[in-house]
Amino acid sequence: MEVNPPKQEHLLALKVMRLTKPTLFTNIPVTCEEKDLPGDLFNQLMRDDPSTVNGAEILMLGEMLTLPQNFGNIFLGETFSSYISVHNDSNQVVKDILVKADLQTSSQRLNLSASNAAVAELKPDCCIDDVIHHEVKEIGTHILVCAVSYTTQGGEKMYFRKFFKFQVLKPLDVKTKFYNAETDEVFLEAQIQNITTSPMFMEKVSLEPSLMYNVTELNSVDQAGECVSTFGSRAYLQPMDTRQYLYCLKPKKEFAEKAGIIKGVTVIGKLDIVWKTNLGERGRLQTSQLQRMAPGYGDVRLSLEAIPDTVNLEEPFHITCKITNCSSERTMDLVLDMCNTSSIHWCGISGRQLGKLHPSSSLCLALTLLSSVQGLQSVSGLRLTDTFLKRTYEYDDIAQVCVVSSAIKVES
Amino acid sequence: MEGATGADPSVSAEEEKVRPQAPQAEQGPLLYHEETIDLGGDESISEDSSHFLDKLNEHMMESVLISDSPNNSEDDAGDLGCLRDVTEPGLAGASAGEGLRSLSDGSEADTDDTPRDLSDLTSDSRASLKEEPTQEEAAGTPVLEDAGADVLAPRAEEQAPAPAPAVPSSRPAKDEPVPVCTIFSQASPTPAQPQLFLQDGFESQMVKSPSFSSASEPSAKTPPQAVRPSPSLSRFFGDTVSGNSAASGFFDSFTTSTFTSVSNPHAGSSGPDKLSPLSSPVGEKSPRPSDSPYPLGMERSESGPSTASQDGPDSPRPFSQIQAVFAGSDDPFATALSMSEMDRRNDAWLPSQRTRDVLAAVATQQGGTVFVDKESLTMPGLRFDNIQGDAVKDLMLRFLGEKAAAKRQVLSASSVEQSFVGLKQLISCKNWRAAVDLCGRLLTAHGQGYGKSGLPTSHTTDSLQLWFVRLALLVKLGLFQNAEVEFEPFGNLDQPDLYYEYYPHVYPGRRGSMVPFSMRILHADLQQYLGNPQESLDRLHRIKTVCSQILSNLEQGLAEDGGVSNMTQENRQASLQLWRARLGRVTYSVANCLLLMKDYVLAVDAYHSVAKCHPEQEPQLLSGIGRIFLQQIGDIKTAEKYFQDVEKVTQKLDGLQGKIMVLMNRAFLHLGQNNFAEAHRFFTEILRMDPTNAVANNNAAVCLLYLGKLKDSLRQLEAMVQQDPRQYLHESVLFNLTTMYELESSRSVQKKQGLLEAVAGKEGDSFNTQCLKLA
Repeated sequence: MEVNPPKQEHLLALKVMRLTKPTLFTNIPVTCEEKDLPGDLFNQLMRDDPSTVNGAEILMLGEMLTLPQNFGNIFLGETFSSYISVHNDSNQVVKDILVKADLQTSSQRLNLSASNAAVAELKPDCCIDDVIHHEVKEIGTHILVCAVSYTTQGGEKMYFRKFFKFQVLKPLDVKTKFYNAETDEVFLEAQIQNITTSPMFMEKVSLEPSLMYNVTELNSVDQAGECVSTFGSRAYLQPMDTRQYLYCLKPKKEFAEKAGIIKGVTVIGKLDIVWKTNLGERGRLQTSQLQRMAPGYGDVRLSLEAIPDTVNLEEPFHITCKITNCSSERTMDLVLDMCNTSSIHWCGISGRQLGKLHPSSSLCLALTLLSSVQGLQSVSGLRLTDTFLKRTYEYDDIAQVCVVSSAIKVES
Repeated sequence: MEGATGADPSVSAEEEKVRPQAPQAEQGPLLYHEETIDLGGDESISEDSSHFLDKLNEHMMESVLISDSPNNSEDDAGDLGCLRDVTEPGLAGASAGEGLRSLSDGSEADTDDTPRDLSDLTSDSRASLKEEPTQEEAAGTPVLEDAGADVLAPRAEEQAPAPAPAVPSSRPAKDEPVPVCTIFSQASPTPAQPQLFLQDGFESQMVKSPSFSSASEPSAKTPPQAVRPSPSLSRFFGDTVSGNSAASGFFDSFTTSTFTSVSNPHAGSSGPDKLSPLSSPVGEKSPRPSDSPYPLGMERSESGPSTASQDGPDSPRPFSQIQAVFAGSDDPFATALSMSEMDRRNDAWLPSQRTRDVLAAVATQQGGTVFVDKESLTMPGLRFDNIQGDAVKDLMLRFLGEKAAAKRQVLSASSVEQSFVGLKQLISCKNWRAAVDLCGRLLTAHGQGYGKSGLPTSHTTDSLQLWFVRLALLVKLGLFQNAEVEFEPFGNLDQPDLYYEYYPHVYPGRRGSMVPFSMRILHADLQQYLGNPQESLDRLHRIKTVCSQILSNLEQGLAEDGGVSNMTQENRQASLQLWRARLGRVTYSVANCLLLMKDYVLAVDAYHSVAKCHPEQEPQLLSGIGRIFLQQIGDIKTAEKYFQDVEKVTQKLDGLQGKIMVLMNRAFLHLGQNNFAEAHRFFTEILRMDPTNAVANNNAAVCLLYLGKLKDSLRQLEAMVQQDPRQYLHESVLFNLTTMYELESSRSVQKKQGLLEAVAGKEGDSFNTQCLKLA
């Protein structure tokens, strides 16, 4: 290979064109009135222009389809379509033509050709056409490798390849937030941002929950019996726009009771997103499983079952607590201590025995307390002591309550 | 992805929990925390995996890899960190090696070639996958040009690992085997309407780039006493080859034929007062604006349209002349009366307070002087000599030789009558460049020629009409910058000298704006094509406000300008109709502008209000809105809803047009559902009903291409162009045709030249040669 061989002319030519959806031709309307110098001329010119809309020439968006003018962008989840044309440029019949289109990604190589059978012969000025489609599943560099092999009239076997490189970009940016409610519910906020350069119609954004949860979508409001999207009439996302979706996840009954199951890292589910762009070009993505760290409750969990929102100053009120043994197999013997804070005063006996609590079981406690300070007060000061391990669990800020002067009537 | 890269969410999630300080410090007492799902590494393909991991930790965000389809687990998301070929080791050995090298080489080439690509883009903006340097075919095609990286050795397909790597490595670095595609990112922000902003290739040559700073020069000079037609008219005629028009002939045609054409009965306009500027040509008697405050000889002129008729007898004298011109009209007085009605209606405008003050001062000063600031005067002039030239001919010279080019005959500005008649002739045969040139000559004769910008001048109905035509044609030609430069001296079209009241001697009794309404629309529309849609909207809304105010005046029984009026019912109706149409027109422009801004919600609203102004266009507008949802947004359901509304509306009016509209919409809906076969069926159905339908013809051909039938598609388009070249040699059709030629064979240039010849025989100098993709 010390001397480059003279470039050999191939009898066949290979052309590849990406088939993004066609676009509509837009024209620039210039009109005048009859009294103006050109009279009806400008308007007549527009009527004669085949790309204007018959009867509404000033409407910019016409009906004439034009082929894609450039490669454009391709995004993860979209379908890459391409026209592959092999044309016989020569004046001889070519035999045994085999066209192979492979897509080389950073991790794998896929064959995209519709058929792998050789074409027996190709006459001059004829072509072999193939339209390939591939749903893009990887980000980054892709290389379309087209290989053509054929036999000349003289029986010579010929072969050539061409490479087409393109980058697959990320279309969306997804951010999530989890919010753990006092009950076992989990709220998921998902912010989805369009990071492409064109508007995007969100056809479907849904959360597919994992086994343990039921999901309620909170993205529409009931207005007079009709379900209205919280996003209003704006069904699409402009470039860089972000939209926030909200979901409420409730553990299924069988999992909720067995509190031990939902703890540590749990799989919540995954988001399934389907969007459309220009002329219905479709894209679809799913996130991988969204995971969340269940709030750590330690061995013993204390949750509130009932508490009034507003109470009178210096008047006792009741709350109901639920104490759950979250440890795996240890039965606990618990003692409850109630410590007063500057504003919260507990009524009743502190240091009482709660009795034995088996693993994954719980008990409910009604407690009475009063507040000596007005305003929003935090309920704090509960202590549980495991007599066996001599370990004390502290529960502060378990809830807030609004304390008002008793002069103001508190309705129920 | 799972193991080595460790970017799997569980790890980072745990990390976040284990060390909650960082996020909690930010979030404060909030119970939730924020995470970002990385849809799978940025473009860090070439980065090694450890770095990748570092990056993730740095962000402290939960990274989630998106897998494509529901059944896909993360397994096949693959290792992004490194390139590993997993396929057959035989051929793959070679190809993987090549792949690897080309990838890394490719990234080098990326940086190397970026400037080149960018220039490609700006000059052509149709560049696609960049092609190999060795390839001699023109850049700028949507065809993925090949890399020419052929492994040339004639060998059977499934080859054993050949010494392939040696081949490229022996080549110079430039001989890159992989076509690098760097046109992503922001390069093409609006694929939907790119042609709107295409720069005309001619611009740079055409704009004479003189010192525009000369605008400030006049102040130094002594102000001319009167504005006269440019003395150097003969310059033009010296240039002309035909030489059929002498200078005197020019003046004759300019004056008399100007007159006849304006008072063209078809236009039904032009009152006797139009005559006055001509009978007393721009000169001694007309106001003499100068750069210093200057005096205006004043005479009390009765204002108001009702009094205009009383003035009739003593204003323009040569009634006999008018009669001669208006062969048909029997009573010159009645004609004059109705003219003034029509003028008042058409010219009505509401000036700003400042302008109104000046005009009031002009009207009330009896024989006194009014001082008008130079700032508030309009002093336009040509800013570039001419944009004559014929791109078609230039291309012919390049590709077909002198002989063929000599056959190309188009009308030039010199080959027609130097008058409005000639101008119209040029416009209608699509020689807009020549028409722009002719406007320039006529304006030069008026004293507003090249280099006159910033010099005092006076305006007439005709001069403003000429400006309007010139600027409108520049916009039609896509020469937006040129139009902008020449529009500039007109300011916001509200200067006092653009109103008839400013010239009480020339236009006694006439009131209102000299600036045609269409010119205001053009002035506003232009900004969006220059990339300032917000400015366009501002201007359009100003126009809209005036339209609405005038309409409300009329509805309250007042005159257009809010004065007391004794208009006849008939005239009032005519005026209401005119101003409603104008309101519709400006709303149309607002809607178009919003569409360009991609503010689809507002655009759709605006098109709905257009439909209220033009109920007869409702089906077209509803279809258009449907297309916005379908094409621009991708919301097929809403599009379908609109298309159904169209079907309801068109049911009432049976006729071919309605049926075609319905079929067209159905075809588009199928396109949206990616069903090209069905769409093709509907387009063909339209062709059966209306074989000359250019849109259906073209669209059917486009569908065929997407169905993999290139040859059929080409046949259809070629047949169409041959069938009626006059109608089908349209930019969009030719663009599709040339694109397919490029895809079809390596000999596309010859075929394009064939198209060029066809174009040369049929099209004027305004033809946009870019669609031939020959340059």
